[in-house]
Amino acid sequence: MTERKFTKEHEWIQKSDQIIIVGITEFAQDQLGDIVSIELPQVGSSFKQNDVMTIIDSVKASSDIYCPVDGEIIETNENLLEHPELINKSPYNEGWIVKIKPNNPEQIDSLLSKEQYDELVGQGKE
Amino acid sequence: MNFIPHTKEHISKMLSVVGCSTLDELVSEFIPRLSELNLDNPMSEMELVSYMTSLSEKNSPMKYFAGGGSYDHYIPAVINHLVSRGEFLTSYTPYQPEASQGVLQVLYEFQSFICLLTGMDVSNASLYDGASAVAEAALLSSAYTKRKGVFVDDGLNPAYLKVLKTYCDGTELCITNTIDENTACVISQTPDFYGNIKNPHGLIEKAHAHHALFINCISDPTSLAILKTPGEFGADVVVGEGQAFGIPTSFGGPYLGFIAVKQFLTKKLPGRIVGMTTDDQGNEGFVLTLQAREQFIRRERATSNITTNQTLLALTATIYLASLGRSGLQNVARASYHRAHLLQEKLSKIGFEAINTSPFYNEFLVKSPKPSEEIIANLMEYNIFGGIDVGDNRLLVCCTEKNLLQDINSYVSVVSK
Amino acid sequence: MKLIFDYNQSNTKHTPDEEKDVDLPEELKRSSLLLPDVNEVQVIRHYTELSKKNYGIDTNFYPLGSCTMKYNPRVNEDLAKLPGFSNLHPHMPASHAQGALQVIWELEGDLKEITGMDAFSLQPAAGSQCELLGVMIAKKYFAEKNENRTKIIIPDSAHGTNPATASMCKFQTVTILTDDRGNMDLDEFKKAIGPDVALVMITNPNTLGLYEENLSEIKDLAHEKGALMYCDGANMNALLGISKPADQGFDMIHLNLHKTFSTPHGGGGPGGGALGVKSFLEDYLPVPRIKKENAQFVFDSNQEKSVGKLHSFYGNFGIIVRALSYIRSWGSDIHKISQIAVLNANYLFTLLKEDFDVPYDRRCAHEFVISAKNFGEKSTANIAKRITDYGFHAPTIYFPLIVKEALMIEPTETESKETLDEFANVLKTIIKELKEDPEVVKNAPHTIPGRLDEVKAARQLNLRWVPHES
Repeated sequence: MTERKFTKEHEWIQKSDQIIIVGITEFAQDQLGDIVSIELPQVGSSFKQNDVMTIIDSVKASSDIYCPVDGEIIETNENLLEHPELINKSPYNEGWIVKIKPNNPEQIDSLLSKEQYDELVGQGKE
Repeated sequence: MNFIPHTKEHISKMLSVVGCSTLDELVSEFIPRLSELNLDNPMSEMELVSYMTSLSEKNSPMKYFAGGGSYDHYIPAVINHLVSRGEFLTSYTPYQPEASQGVLQVLYEFQSFICLLTGMDVSNASLYDGASAVAEAALLSSAYTKRKGVFVDDGLNPAYLKVLKTYCDGTELCITNTIDENTACVISQTPDFYGNIKNPHGLIEKAHAHHALFINCISDPTSLAILKTPGEFGADVVVGEGQAFGIPTSFGGPYLGFIAVKQFLTKKLPGRIVGMTTDDQGNEGFVLTLQAREQFIRRERATSNITTNQTLLALTATIYLASLGRSGLQNVARASYHRAHLLQEKLSKIGFEAINTSPFYNEFLVKSPKPSEEIIANLMEYNIFGGIDVGDNRLLVCCTEKNLLQDINSYVSVVSK
Repeated sequence: MKLIFDYNQSNTKHTPDEEKDVDLPEELKRSSLLLPDVNEVQVIRHYTELSKKNYGIDTNFYPLGSCTMKYNPRVNEDLAKLPGFSNLHPHMPASHAQGALQVIWELEGDLKEITGMDAFSLQPAAGSQCELLGVMIAKKYFAEKNENRTKIIIPDSAHGTNPATASMCKFQTVTILTDDRGNMDLDEFKKAIGPDVALVMITNPNTLGLYEENLSEIKDLAHEKGALMYCDGANMNALLGISKPADQGFDMIHLNLHKTFSTPHGGGGPGGGALGVKSFLEDYLPVPRIKKENAQFVFDSNQEKSVGKLHSFYGNFGIIVRALSYIRSWGSDIHKISQIAVLNANYLFTLLKEDFDVPYDRRCAHEFVISAKNFGEKSTANIAKRITDYGFHAPTIYFPLIVKEALMIEPTETESKETLDEFANVLKTIIKELKEDPEVVKNAPHTIPGRLDEVKAARQLNLRWVPHES
């Protein structure tokens, strides 16, 4: 597994072999509040970078989650349908959202590093 | 009538606090005075009552043998007294749950009643009316399946079909005449507009074979007291009109739409939903829940823009169902069924042709031996509204428990002249 | 707590007994009906008890912004229940429903006069259905002119229904920021308006309770580019007899009969919608229309250009009766409603300005927005809950979205100076508590049940009673 990369829209990605795992950051889950449901995309569907991939609902808010790179959804975390709170409790581990097969892996390089993302959100949060 | 409590002194004191000397001055500070208004002089309460009463007397309510989406069932007296209580009547949507446990519990009970009657898993806290409920179900299906085709079975209430078509035109859905891989939903009314009770089994299978949702529509839900539930048949969505549950015919509105779904569609339900929860001491209570589905949070990502529901009418229906209970509702349904069958039998003996293709509940179709306008006009002279003229000398006739034996005999005697 | 399903009693019968079962094939018959049987005595007690757990305008001040929680006149309830109105079947021919058609006709006429519009439809069931109708009319209007307009301009302060409606009809929402004075930003608007815009949807006065100062220029620019101006008339209570939206330059307006025109909110509905249009859009209104032919009122469904139908019948007729009665009772004095609504709002605003943050310090219309942001995050939620302990209902909170920790307050004209003074004192007391005894505010309301767990409600769904296995 390589280092995590981040997007401006508060998603994180982690490369593992030829696929990438995607979730939302600690900062994002904190902003959203208690998450109550998530609409997962269909396995096999394709998205371009910055397309809306899924919607996360908390008690008082609803947030679009954007696809970080061009690619195809190869797996979704079905656990989240029954246990959306995993995103709050463990945003980087059990709260992972989708696995994508990227079409243009070089897009990953232009995403934010941890330092750049931490600067974006203003604090040294991990 | 003056519902402004301010005396001249109050107004004067308040004006000085805000820093103006007259009301005109205050108003003109925020808004350019643009217009003059031309309305009649105000009326006192006494004059108003006289005026509106005279308007009401230009209408002729009478003995009804007509349905077609509006049913004249008996309304127990207890309903009006409870529903007029100011705490229910004058409250707002229960966004502050601790101040609105009354309304929230009633809506929870309403949701429960609808599920029990339809055999479905989850219901919402009401929609505007039966017609828009059908449209909302189509929108829900399109959002769920990501398809745009809407298949409508024969026999849907024509007004509901018109409203559905209007919504489809506006939201770019398409009413089609095939069920295929583009079909989001299959919509069928039973009992249908002409009274026919349908077994939806075959149609449900066909819909599901193409991964489309099956939507069952119900126009007089008192029928659910005696008919097998759409849930048991396998419907995915049930919608309908709840007016039969204690709401007066009131020239078409306000009425009560309802929608109920199988579990897997819960988060796609439009409108308001009430849920039970607890406080931190473990005391039970009710709140509006899953609000992130709704327009005020989703905004342009919402599936439906619906905001208001019909709470007071949902309250009415809940109290109606509570008052009648199992035995009372069965009674109403059986009486409605038997009166309709009796009238149909008697009419078929005097030259009316019974044209229903299936068993029927409380509405039936007959072809009249004389021009239907004549039949309707003759009955009107005896203060009887004999049915809905659906063209080609066919009458859609309805009975409820309010149509007693003597009413049926009067009907028959007038038309046999 | 007892639900109605927890009873098992000897039921009260209201109609003669019908013992005979129905003669239907088994495959169509219901096998079991698990409804409770409850005696009328218990029905009365159960729902009376529930009503006592509920707050209404009849209870006390209900300062929800843009909801216009004014007193609901009781005589209108009686009038709507007159048998000639409430027992009238909607399939009755027009000949036997002349009074009902006249009621609809007269309300349309009064609303035309009040707003300056040329035609009205009272068919929509509520405000959001009006918006749907308005957007559908715009869509059809431009389609017939062969103009491809894909956008609707909406300010960021707008109620969520506006963009939701735009999306439903497959329009793209273009959101315009609010400027420092609380107006839609004119420069941003100038960049956004163009020949691809179908509609400009504006609430005026807006959800901040402020009159759009650039409205005239906005209207001119919109019309220059051929776009239509739509007024979300939720805030009409500021304008009655003072300013007609048609004179402000709008081509369409929707009104909420359950707000401005006093019909009861009923715990969330029924409402009543009214969509008014300029004459060039009249033919698109839903059918049937009500027309007058030789002193007779008739239904006219012969409208080729109509967008169709929105309601099973003619709209929420019972609500239409109430709204007509209300307007008739006020008549030419109707401007007094708005004058006092505006006075009450400015008075309460002045009293509270010293304690709260004021995002836009301008003369407000009939409502105003203040912010509790200086007291910390979530203080608005806590203040709202603490208000309950003092016997009042909270104002609208966290809306409009553009103001942090917002409280949106609309007193309406039916509240007395005493009530406003009392409410202001309660808020000032709570602010003091936030400094001196913050826990009592954070743990509010001190009712039973107390603050309810909304996260649990959404995660552990319990949306209905489930029968026990018998």
